[in-house]
Amino acid sequence: MKSSNYRVRYLLPVMIIILVLLSIIATSWGQVGVPLANTMEIIFKHWGIPGYADITLNPQQDAVIYFIRLPRVIVGILVGAGLAVAGAVMQGIFSNPLADPGIIGVSSGAAFGAITAISLGLTTSNLFTMPFFAAGGSLLAVLLTVMLASHKGRIPVIILLLAGIAVSMFMGALSSGLLTILNEHRVREYLFWMVGGLDYRRWEHVYLAAGPILSGIGICCLLARHMNILVLGDNEARAVGASVQKMRIGILSVASVITAFAVCVSGAIGFVGLVVPHIMRIFVGPDHRLLIPVSALAGGIFLVACDVLARMIVPSIEIRVGVITALVGAPYFLYLLRRVQRSEK
Amino acid sequence: MTQSNILSINNLSYVIADKHILRNISFAASVGEFIGIIGPNGAGKSTLLRCIRGITPPSAGQVLIHNTSIQNFSERELAKRVAYMQQDVSVNFDFSALDIVLTGRYPHLEWWQNERQQDIDIARKNMAFTGVEKLEYSSVNQVSGGERQRILFAKALTQETDILFLDEPTANLDLVYQEEIFRYCQTICGRGKTVLMVVHDLRLAAKFCSRLILLAKGNVLVDGLPDDVLTSKYLEQAYHMDTVVFKNKTTGLLDIYTYEAGQASNSDINVHIIGGGGTVGDIIRQLFNNGYKLSGGVFHQGDSDADVAEAFQMDVLLADPFCAVSNEIGRLNREKIAAADVVILANLYFGPQNIDNLQAAAHAKKLIIVEDSPIEQRDYVGGQAVLIYKRLIQNKGVIVLTSEELLQMIEDNKLADQGVQLSKLTAD
Repeated sequence: MKSSNYRVRYLLPVMIIILVLLSIIATSWGQVGVPLANTMEIIFKHWGIPGYADITLNPQQDAVIYFIRLPRVIVGILVGAGLAVAGAVMQGIFSNPLADPGIIGVSSGAAFGAITAISLGLTTSNLFTMPFFAAGGSLLAVLLTVMLASHKGRIPVIILLLAGIAVSMFMGALSSGLLTILNEHRVREYLFWMVGGLDYRRWEHVYLAAGPILSGIGICCLLARHMNILVLGDNEARAVGASVQKMRIGILSVASVITAFAVCVSGAIGFVGLVVPHIMRIFVGPDHRLLIPVSALAGGIFLVACDVLARMIVPSIEIRVGVITALVGAPYFLYLLRRVQRSEK
Repeated sequence: MTQSNILSINNLSYVIADKHILRNISFAASVGEFIGIIGPNGAGKSTLLRCIRGITPPSAGQVLIHNTSIQNFSERELAKRVAYMQQDVSVNFDFSALDIVLTGRYPHLEWWQNERQQDIDIARKNMAFTGVEKLEYSSVNQVSGGERQRILFAKALTQETDILFLDEPTANLDLVYQEEIFRYCQTICGRGKTVLMVVHDLRLAAKFCSRLILLAKGNVLVDGLPDDVLTSKYLEQAYHMDTVVFKNKTTGLLDIYTYEAGQASNSDINVHIIGGGGTVGDIIRQLFNNGYKLSGGVFHQGDSDADVAEAFQMDVLLADPFCAVSNEIGRLNREKIAAADVVILANLYFGPQNIDNLQAAAHAKKLIIVEDSPIEQRDYVGGQAVLIYKRLIQNKGVIVLTSEELLQMIEDNKLADQGVQLSKLTAD
């Protein structure tokens, strides 16, 4: 960790600057073009920054910037950060560079939970009912995957992936079954839960996800040193006195809850948790105390950038951001899989 | 159980699917002991370490540290007392050597604490001790096997425990590094630590460990000083391998010679060897491998042939160094020669102190003479040896061979036949 200090000292501030700049660009750029200066004016006025109170705004621009694009970008940052951290944490806990909330079934579990809440008609009564169900679904999925994959306390890389795929497909089947019963014409709804996107995200989504995701990331940062121990495997971790099972369940639950809230506000966006921590590990090394905060920032940047790309490719119709992340992530996943296989030989 | 016992194991058993992997194991270790756990593959050595450490919970029995059962310790408290170095650690991510060594500080830190400067100092000190201080920032996945083992050893030391469990720490290591790890352990035991190490190499175990525990099929076969544990009897029981344990005169250490006992039963055939001056080492070994009943004489003490004879626990007659064979010994030699089924006279150099050996050879029923060089070159008693030798060769049934031919004959198990054939030939 000492060796990477130098690089990290500059990496964190640089990433924050990139994230802020990217967010501003993502907010001002779109079908309705709003100059950067106006974008800033609108945001500053709403935030009550002194000196901007008296500015008169173009109502159309105001609506687009503040009520459509800005919450979308913020949800993107939150979801990207949350999924990247969940991915980093799961890779650490399973000591497996291929773990990711999407791949091991946590996301589809969360989606299933959310759909169950919708189908039971519980979502209108309380804002937190759906996330509660989603968290339940994600925990159920992770439990299933781990039970299927573990053999004598060990979880081989490939078996974890296969178990994850099985659980994912099972949860997906349950979800689509429920959706069919709910309303067979709501293909859009189905798409939302299965592919994930940031369209139509409002401030309510920001309010729903911000607290849990940010505090989840905070908890993960605090427990980062323990993850460094878990990475070394069961016996090695126990040899230095770690309560492996307790810690694993605890941290995994936090990661699952983060994932559940991310899924609630954006659907199941795949591969963020796989690609981002892996690339960040190349930059800052495997120490989770750095990897987690850096992955959080990079996850935000990655998802917002993918969303801009999704809006940019065919301007008249938006491609869902989940499609873009899958297009980027799936080949990367295959590349990693090959590397892991080679190193296991 | 005395106060000085830092570790006691009472009736520990480990059963898996009705199979006893470990059976009623009991022993105690006191401070400063360097205990080697030896035994063949599958004897349960590694399982024993894991059970004692509590990584694999034993099926029955108790493990006490400072007279307190390990079940009363939390994982963290236990890790402050016992460090455990596993056989193979796979690190899936590129942690640096220092990162790995620092994980040894984990039990000493509160959950919210980061490593302090003092922790880093301790880690560095131990890395310097095991000679890997230059690898601080190298990835553990990019160092050599030997360096990796030494990094992991430094990690175990960094845990600063009184007890260290090491599961074959010398696997994959070059000879130099193997010795080094043993030497490190010996040093830390001298400083009051107690080491329990699973060892594969019996010679190194004998050289460095203060005590050995030999496991076989999940039982403690014998527990004691290396000299008392490493005997052919126990090794044969444990390893099902024919061994000869002897003190290597060159190294001064316990050494082990392994061989495969021949198929043919030659134990009823007495072979007497007249040798000395390092002429019969190979012949004795070959005969021993083929299971002959051996006697020998007269060798001079301190002669390498005498050492070989001693190693193989041969019935051997010894004379004082540089002295002529005494009448008494000479008589005993003649008795043994007369009693032997086959007598082998080695390619000896004859001087006043061993000319009696040549004279005694005449008493043999069947004599095989080894001649690698002409007798004239080996006579240092003014022609007397040549005379006796020439007469000896005239005798019935005597055959003359080179060492090579003899060794081949023994290997082919034709020594006895040869004698019979010869006697037939001479009878005709």
